[in-house]
Amino acid sequence: MNVRIAQSDLLTAYGHGMDALWKGLLSGRTAIRPTRRFDGRGFNSDQAALIPDLRDDTGETRIWQAIRRVFSPHAGKFDPQTPLILATTVGEIEFVERSVLESNWDLAAESKPEKLAERTQHLLGLRGPVIALSSACASSAAALTRAASMIRHNQAESILVVACDAVSEFVYSGFSSLASLDSEPARPFDSGRCGLTLGEAAAWALLTQSDADKDNVSILGWGNTADAVHMTAPDRNGNGLTRAIQKALVMSRQRADEINFIAAHGTGTVYSDAMELTSFGNAIGGARPVFSIKGGIGHTLGAAGLTQFLVATHALKLGIVPPSVGLTTPDESARDWAVAKSKSNGSMQLALSTNSGFGGVNTAMLLGTGGAE
Amino acid sequence: MIRAAAWLCTQHHGVFAPGGESWQRPTPSDLSSLVGRPIKYAQRLTDEAWNCLCAASLAHKASKFETSEIGLLTAGTEGCRDAQENYFRDYVANGRALGRGNLFIYTLPTSVAGEVGIVLSLRGPCMFIRDDVRPLPALLEHAGQMLSDGEAGAMLLLWCDSSAAVCLAIDGNAESQAFPLGLESNPSELCRQLQQLVLAL
Repeated sequence: MNVRIAQSDLLTAYGHGMDALWKGLLSGRTAIRPTRRFDGRGFNSDQAALIPDLRDDTGETRIWQAIRRVFSPHAGKFDPQTPLILATTVGEIEFVERSVLESNWDLAAESKPEKLAERTQHLLGLRGPVIALSSACASSAAALTRAASMIRHNQAESILVVACDAVSEFVYSGFSSLASLDSEPARPFDSGRCGLTLGEAAAWALLTQSDADKDNVSILGWGNTADAVHMTAPDRNGNGLTRAIQKALVMSRQRADEINFIAAHGTGTVYSDAMELTSFGNAIGGARPVFSIKGGIGHTLGAAGLTQFLVATHALKLGIVPPSVGLTTPDESARDWAVAKSKSNGSMQLALSTNSGFGGVNTAMLLGTGGAE
Repeated sequence: MIRAAAWLCTQHHGVFAPGGESWQRPTPSDLSSLVGRPIKYAQRLTDEAWNCLCAASLAHKASKFETSEIGLLTAGTEGCRDAQENYFRDYVANGRALGRGNLFIYTLPTSVAGEVGIVLSLRGPCMFIRDDVRPLPALLEHAGQMLSDGEAGAMLLLWCDSSAAVCLAIDGNAESQAFPLGLESNPSELCRQLQQLVLAL
């Protein structure tokens, strides 16, 4: 049994919907801008990819505003029994900020990912099982793999995966303290890259059972692994991600040389990008077109995996590999791989999407048309 | 099947291993003695992280797994919330200009699992999965599917709160029905049940 995406929608710094995101990426213009939200804080960057028109003065968290908006055209359209998996790194962390700033300790409990999952379930009028899932910056990619597995194991016919994270002072200050932020918009795989840019996004996908089908893009296989090396730094040998890709290939019964392109995590940090390229070389061998969407919409943390996966699905359907926005001079190690300009190829059938995160977590997914029964 | 269940709370800790050695003892003041491996960042661990690390170490040792493709699923969040408050309070107290990276990196729901994974060299899937209605049974279902899918050769499941942690070590098919305990219980209650079970052997 294959698992395909029946419906989806997303909200990014380019605006609402895949059309806005796709046009933004193909334009080569970034949606990352200087922000004044953290003026006077002394962070080592002022860049961020913010969802347009989210407000900080309504009492609602930015994540909740984003979730309400991304679902607004779709209210009441889901089977009430549909299980929900909500993926986020830390949930509505603004509640923790407020609990400290206002000395109101009860507020912090509201930040739990499971609370956000429950609120989302009520928003959509769902009554089925609800799960909160976090796996650092691979959260929504891991959520997709769990949903696909649950469907394959006949635990549900369809599952709604929701992913969201927002740019908060908590997270911005944290990445600034780790010296992970580029003072310019992120430049994944570029020789001049020197960090990531935080972004925010909300996305959802309704996954459902599917027979092998040339017209639909399905999740064919996946692998989740851990480096077990360091809490923040990636394994420089890329062993964890290499194993994740190999597991995805085995599960999907696909060959590495059949992969047409790779949607990479591509944060723009020196070591993470290098680790990914090392893993691709180890697991796949010959170079394939690689792109990252983070030069366009920033690193959307828990939403990154699903957003990138939806872009990869769109790219596969259109036969176009989008460019890595911000990439002008590929790093030596990326020269044969990273795509600075869009590439058209009408016959694409198989794509790889990868994500990694703190704690050394890695997720690899293979998506394609057709596939094994 | 469940190869071993280990627990740790303030009063006692131990292992229940069907077909293996089961035991229980008072909890020592020096928890690092229960881990039996180097812990690089011991001073940074929260109480919940220590509880989880000890329970996972005991379950891992008792299970005698022969694979390093071991996954780790967790369902506790209290320690993560403490770490989040610690980080942000420190950041605010220091002028709201620069946070401490070594506090920030422990603010994720998977931070504790990540640290446990590094200490025990666990190379399988690592996720926080929380079904608020049935946390531990849900973890068992996900772990069973991961084993069936070939994502891991074995799994450790952590169920914890600020004062107690339980870790189940499973492989093959997760047959939760065969486990003679109430998996719907909270971590502290499950610790008590495990101790009673071992004392009755």
